[in-house]
Amino acid sequence: MEVILLFVMVLGLLLIGVPIAVSLGLSSMIFLLAFSDTSLASVAQSLYQAMAGHYTLLAIPFFILASSFMSTGGVATRIVRFSIACVGHMHGGLAIAGVFACMIFAALSGSSPATVVAIGTIVIAAMKKVGYSKDFAAGVICNAGTLGILIPPSIVMVVYASATDVSVGRMFLAGVIPGLLAGTMLMLAIYIIARIKKLPKGEWAGWGEIWNSFKDAFWGLMLIVIIMVGIYGIPGITGAIFTPTEAAAVASVYAFFVASFIYRDMGPLRNSDERISLLRKPQAVVTAFFHKDTRATLFDAGKLTIMLMFIIANALILKHVLTDEQIPQQIANAMLSAGFGKIMFLVMVNVILLIGGQFMEPSGLIVIVAPLVFPIAIELGVDPIHLGIIMVVNMEIGMITPPVGLNLFVTSGVAGMPMMAVVRAAAPFLAILFVFLILITYVPIISTYLPTSLMGPEIITN
Amino acid sequence: MSLPDDSQGTALGRFFDSVEENLIAAILGVMTLITFANVVLRYVFNESLIWGLEVVLILFAWLVMLGISYGFKKTTHLGVDAVTNLLPSRGQRVAALLSAAACFAYAALLMKGAWDYWAPFAALQPTEGRWFPLGFTENTRDRAFYMTDQVPMLGILRWLEDAINYGDSYDKLPRVVPYFIIPFGSALILLRVVQASIRIIKGEQASLIVSHEAEEDVERVAAQNAQEE
Amino acid sequence: DDGEMVIKFSHVTNTDKHPKGIAASLFMERVNAEMDGKVCVEVYPNSTLYNDDQVLEAMLQGDVQMAAPSLSKFETFTKIYRIFDLPFMFKNMDAVEEFQQSEVGQDMKEAMVRRGLLGLGFWHNGLKQFSANKPLVAPTDAAGLKFRVQPSDVLVAQMEALDASPQPMSFSEVYGALQTGVVDGQENTWSNIYGQKFFEVQDGITETNHGLLDYMVVTSVDWWEGLDADIREQLSTIMSEVTTERNAAIAEVDMENRQAVLDAGGVIRELDAEQRQAWVDVMKPVWAQFEGDVGADNIAAAQEINAKH
Ligand code: NA
Ligand code: NA
Repeated sequence: MEVILLFVMVLGLLLIGVPIAVSLGLSSMIFLLAFSDTSLASVAQSLYQAMAGHYTLLAIPFFILASSFMSTGGVATRIVRFSIACVGHMHGGLAIAGVFACMIFAALSGSSPATVVAIGTIVIAAMKKVGYSKDFAAGVICNAGTLGILIPPSIVMVVYASATDVSVGRMFLAGVIPGLLAGTMLMLAIYIIARIKKLPKGEWAGWGEIWNSFKDAFWGLMLIVIIMVGIYGIPGITGAIFTPTEAAAVASVYAFFVASFIYRDMGPLRNSDERISLLRKPQAVVTAFFHKDTRATLFDAGKLTIMLMFIIANALILKHVLTDEQIPQQIANAMLSAGFGKIMFLVMVNVILLIGGQFMEPSGLIVIVAPLVFPIAIELGVDPIHLGIIMVVNMEIGMITPPVGLNLFVTSGVAGMPMMAVVRAAAPFLAILFVFLILITYVPIISTYLPTSLMGPEIITN
Repeated sequence: MSLPDDSQGTALGRFFDSVEENLIAAILGVMTLITFANVVLRYVFNESLIWGLEVVLILFAWLVMLGISYGFKKTTHLGVDAVTNLLPSRGQRVAALLSAAACFAYAALLMKGAWDYWAPFAALQPTEGRWFPLGFTENTRDRAFYMTDQVPMLGILRWLEDAINYGDSYDKLPRVVPYFIIPFGSALILLRVVQASIRIIKGEQASLIVSHEAEEDVERVAAQNAQEE
Repeated sequence: DDGEMVIKFSHVTNTDKHPKGIAASLFMERVNAEMDGKVCVEVYPNSTLYNDDQVLEAMLQGDVQMAAPSLSKFETFTKIYRIFDLPFMFKNMDAVEEFQQSEVGQDMKEAMVRRGLLGLGFWHNGLKQFSANKPLVAPTDAAGLKFRVQPSDVLVAQMEALDASPQPMSFSEVYGALQTGVVDGQENTWSNIYGQKFFEVQDGITETNHGLLDYMVVTSVDWWEGLDADIREQLSTIMSEVTTERNAAIAEVDMENRQAVLDAGGVIRELDAEQRQAWVDVMKPVWAQFEGDVGADNIAAAQEINAKH
């Protein structure tokens, strides 16, 4: 009963405009002080240990940083050019290219809003110019941007892995096929709409443009290769080189290097529109590290990290309180004794997450919900990786549904349209994501095929 | 000593902003470089900085604990404004005041928890009382002996051995040092929350939250769009 | 239930397969049955409440009452337990048991009292084996390889003696890191090697029995001394009976896990006396580095017991 009070308190605070992190943390503290004998000191300990004690979560600042260097460093622009060269000539080509670009950027970045900002900024304006309606453009990008957390790397997957102790590497692999599938479904839908509505198609610019744009985007695209080879190795040639967390740090250093010394879109080798050769300014090798662009990118990434980790850390405090009161066991027992089967359970998880996703930031929601449902899932024989992907897809939907939808907010800002207009614009594509969610829920092999065939079946050691 | 608020434009305010911003950037940069160095050392040279991982995790905690207060100062913390936006302006003001009160309660409780947690590591006494500090306890066993796992002791901190550890030498960095960020960060949070609340009471600020994480980026884009049209 | 005193016991393994988890569950069952109405033990497994690092701080703070971290986690409290980490210090688990039951061993339970912790009993896991992604037969085979070790000075020194590179890494990442080749090898007991399925992703396991992985059940001195004498007495008795029962079963558990590794297709390499001696020769010099910490007399006592087994 007291638990219901706890959740009501969280919700109440959220709705009067208290920061999400504070709503979670304050409710936990009040609950702890009133109903248990655990000390306030343990709250301070949990807050600090949310960072210092969670090696897996360390991937978050690094992936955010890599993504920041990629956006500031001009990689997004080059990816868009490459995408347009590939598919721009089809019916609805620019829209399809937008989805394609989102998929590529998603493979570099761990976050959905970041994907919308990076790609949407360029593509929505371009689409408007060639005659698409603003609504259509916004709807497409708003949805395609959610792939940021499904296609690896993914901050939400990192959080799930950390909350349940499954392998981040496996989660990343598991996202590949669903990510490609969701992207393909979106592109197909656009193509059909384009044929019906006679949407504009672009010019076929020839293989030369594909090659040139590919060459131009090459250094950015290499990052995908570096991350994948680094984490999984190449059979027969090299073992893996780093853990997923380290991969994120390496990606940041690489992205910094590409942005400052190859593309020179930021840092000491950029002089407004001019690019200075390193040979003419060799001291840049040192000064790039301290250049104001580098500092600004680091600061932006740091700020975003802080924002997310403040929520995650307080969600961990709430999780600590729930564990302390043995709530997960009670819920698990209640659900198991209610005799739910696997499917009924998964449907319930979907419903809980879809509702939760309306009010909460995805990472915070996963920190709280994953430990509650994970033990039941294991008991019922649900694959933990499959469960993880279901959660991620739910989070995607949460991002494009009101009242709290991070992608909606971002798209409305990027496209300069009112929120409700974006909601309406996104709705038709939202239907596709729902179909996709059902598919993912009922066909586990879509998620588990790749990790199982490359890394063997998931082991549950707990 | 009185810390300045962030009243835009005062030289001191700008100075504090830039100190905090540079610290945030520097900590993240150092975290990245240490992690990267460890990958190179392991893969290329078969070596490792055995303290690397622990130091990076400590810096991660420092980054966030320092940054939370900055977030209150600059109003960058995420919240839900869907409901408050529906309220008339009077209602919005009431909600903002209640929200400030909640943040204050959070910061104050956190401050007490932070002190109680840290004090024994510094051979100081935690506070009495469950909800509110009611003076200091006596005879709490100190934890000044408690060291980190692998972080080397720094020469310039040797004075700590006499100050809090009965002259016993530390062969690793004592936990009191990395943990210092807990009370320090909490105190800064409390300060910034109080300042933000005052701004809300005075009507200089409407709320304590932003509704999404990329608000600033979006504003930048919106400004560009406006120029182009 | 209402009116019962709650004892929170936090640990980091499962409740029904790992030796520590089984022992904690047994302790909980017995206390809850025999002291019903007075005391209730709640077990928090799988690091759900605290991990091994945080749990001792929480205990000193009074937020948790019992835990059973591995002995190397107490390094900062007293260096005397480093004796249990030193390679080839104990011939077999019987020698470990006899040493811990001796006066020297029993005194060690009180080595941390001035820091606020009291040992209630040693719980066994077993002797450690090496595994790697290539065959390890001679100690030179380990040279140049990257081994995941617990972050302890002794274990780092031990790997350096082998010319191997010690790598810190959180336990949950080890399987993935071994599988993908981020690190080459690790050291652990049979129950962990089987439980974490390390054998699946290693060339084989070499039966070196070179080190010990044991736990100490600890409680807070202040909390313990605040208990009624009869409750303390009864808890002590149950703890010591559970300890005796589970420790006696450890050889069997170890062999079961070893067999399970074989049954699942894992490769185990046994060493003959000469081969084993080569490992001893390389690793034993580590003792000298830590003799000051653990006490020459304690080492002598351990060796005296070894001679009997
Ligand atoms: Na991604
Ligand atoms: Na939503």
